Amino acid sequence: MRQVKSAVKEMSKGDRRIKCVVAIPGIDGHWTAAYVVSHALRDMGAEVVYLGNGMPEEIVQTAIEEDADLIGLSFHSGTHVVYSQELINLLRAKKAGSIKIVVGGTIPSQDIRKLKEIGISEVFPAGSTLQQITTYVRKHCG
Amino acid sequence: MESERKFVTGSDIPVKGVYTPEDVKDIDYAKDIGLPGEPPFVRGIYPTMYRGKLWTIRHGTGFDTCTETNKRLKYELAMGQTGLSIFTDMVSNAGIDCDDPRVEADVGRGGVYLDSLRDWEECLDGIPMDKVSSFIIATCNNTCPATAMYFATAEKQGVPLDKVDGTSQNEMLVYYVCSHLCDPLLPHVALRLNIDCIEWCVKNAPKWHPVAFDSYNYREGGLLAWQELGLLMAHVTTYTDELLRRGNLGIDEFAPYFSYNTGTHNDFFEEIAKFRAARRMLYKLTKEKYNAKNPKSWQFRFHTQSCGHTHTHQEPLNNIVRIAYQTLAAALGGAQSIHANAYDEASCLPTEESLLVAIRTQQITQYETKVCNVADPLGGSYYVEWLTSQIEEKAWEYWQEIEKHGGMVKALESGWLHREFANAMWERQRKIEDRETLVVGVNCFESPESQYEIPVFEANLEAGKIAKARLERLRHERDNSAVEAALKEVAEATESGENVMPSVMKAVKAYATQGEICNVWRKLYGIWEYPLRI
Repeated sequence: MRQVKSAVKEMSKGDRRIKCVVAIPGIDGHWTAAYVVSHALRDMGAEVVYLGNGMPEEIVQTAIEEDADLIGLSFHSGTHVVYSQELINLLRAKKAGSIKIVVGGTIPSQDIRKLKEIGISEVFPAGSTLQQITTYVRKHCG
Repeated sequence: MESERKFVTGSDIPVKGVYTPEDVKDIDYAKDIGLPGEPPFVRGIYPTMYRGKLWTIRHGTGFDTCTETNKRLKYELAMGQTGLSIFTDMVSNAGIDCDDPRVEADVGRGGVYLDSLRDWEECLDGIPMDKVSSFIIATCNNTCPATAMYFATAEKQGVPLDKVDGTSQNEMLVYYVCSHLCDPLLPHVALRLNIDCIEWCVKNAPKWHPVAFDSYNYREGGLLAWQELGLLMAHVTTYTDELLRRGNLGIDEFAPYFSYNTGTHNDFFEEIAKFRAARRMLYKLTKEKYNAKNPKSWQFRFHTQSCGHTHTHQEPLNNIVRIAYQTLAAALGGAQSIHANAYDEASCLPTEESLLVAIRTQQITQYETKVCNVADPLGGSYYVEWLTSQIEEKAWEYWQEIEKHGGMVKALESGWLHREFANAMWERQRKIEDRETLVVGVNCFESPESQYEIPVFEANLEAGKIAKARLERLRHERDNSAVEAALKEVAEATESGENVMPSVMKAVKAYATQGEICNVWRKLYGIWEYPLRI
């Protein structure tokens, strides 16, 4: 958390604020991890639109309307490949491929490469820290 | 140096380096501890404990459709599991049919999709329902239809209702806090349905426990041991007060049917002390607050599951050790039923291989460690007795705090419980990132790269399509006018304030789906909006 707070100092030196949409695709009910990550991103200085549960169309539409840099997706029920593919396809179809997607949650190691091949920018499996996530976002989405 | 380190339990209770008779001198053995099977039940709810009956090995399972889950249930029994526990998926839990356009990818994920009596019949095909007890983890919108479908399935197998043994979780509070359901019923509606189910089962299914108050998800999400117990007692008072308000049953008629679903975390002695404290707390609550006279009303009969978040994605085989310690703590804590997780919990649902290790973990604990020889073997330990009292004291304080926020339902509706839960998860993560909490292989003794890979559970990604085809066939084959009439009766019973279970039983036997039944309630009362803000 000390590292998260020092990132805030850096962000406030006139940098453009990173904008993130955080969502849980489909109807999986595990909400708290996405909520906590949203708070960490906000504390880091990013603007966060926390959608909670949403279908891919809604998530992508929100990201486009908000001019988001990043979509963060939370998965805890094994739907990460199916929904990630759908979201990547939608972003490309709407010519919004510059919006990055990162995913996190209950994701087996074997699926990490598959997700990156689909076009997911980074994967944060269980055990990833908020510091890792915010450092990545600050570095790659600013 | 010892003076520089802070020594606390997993729930932040400061502890000394050693405990002596001085620390327990105010504890009166006869009054405050007693023998197993006697008030205040600290040492166990039965006199003989595991000599008389071992705890049930009861792993929760459920995935894809009824076909795959049926196969897994049979595997579990073949490997020596002694009771079943069926998790329904998010779609079923929400009481939604699989042809809803929002849910196809979620069908059969994180639980088994069971929509109609036909699904339940196939799920339990070949399972001897007269010999095996089941824990139905249907907790929310679908709890009445799921319970009814289980009973109807038993009836089809020739097992009369008065012989059906098992438990419905049937309580909405924990899931309304810890989970975000799709299209949830209003809390007071969900509570009414839970209470209807309890009342009906008490009168008609004498071997069935129609509620298992659930604190697992609280503990799993980061709330502390004493918060878990405070919340659990608040669940008890919420449901007891409502049952008493209705006036159809006295305390000693329904309280003996209460059961509990808890978590077992990492601090070995704290978890043992927690379970001991829980038994004393429930005894005091039922006897002193509610004047219960039946000893069965006083007994904390509980199931426990090893807390999932303590199992790491990194070096997953380490989780076998964690789960073994947690299983041992649950056994020394006097559990009646245990779910030991599989080691791949942080990555996926259990494979047959990882599930087998979990079953064997419990069997090794039961048959090789000899801990079952003696009830409450840690009773009398200065530390454990002191810690039991500490946890109880803090748990009562937390229960008071919940009361100050208006009780569980008001605290849920206001968002206070959601904030407590989110703050707990934040705090837990902070401790890990600040290395206040050490996790081997994660923030200490980390390997620079992954040392090995484990086999991963492979979901049937066609589950959504299969379920839709089944549903279409069902709707084609059943008597739809009978379904319509039955659903109308559900609506009428609900609106008139009658117990909904008889009409729900009739509807499920006509092969109405749980989504169709829940939609009756949504149409009448609408959908709740979660009080989550960021």
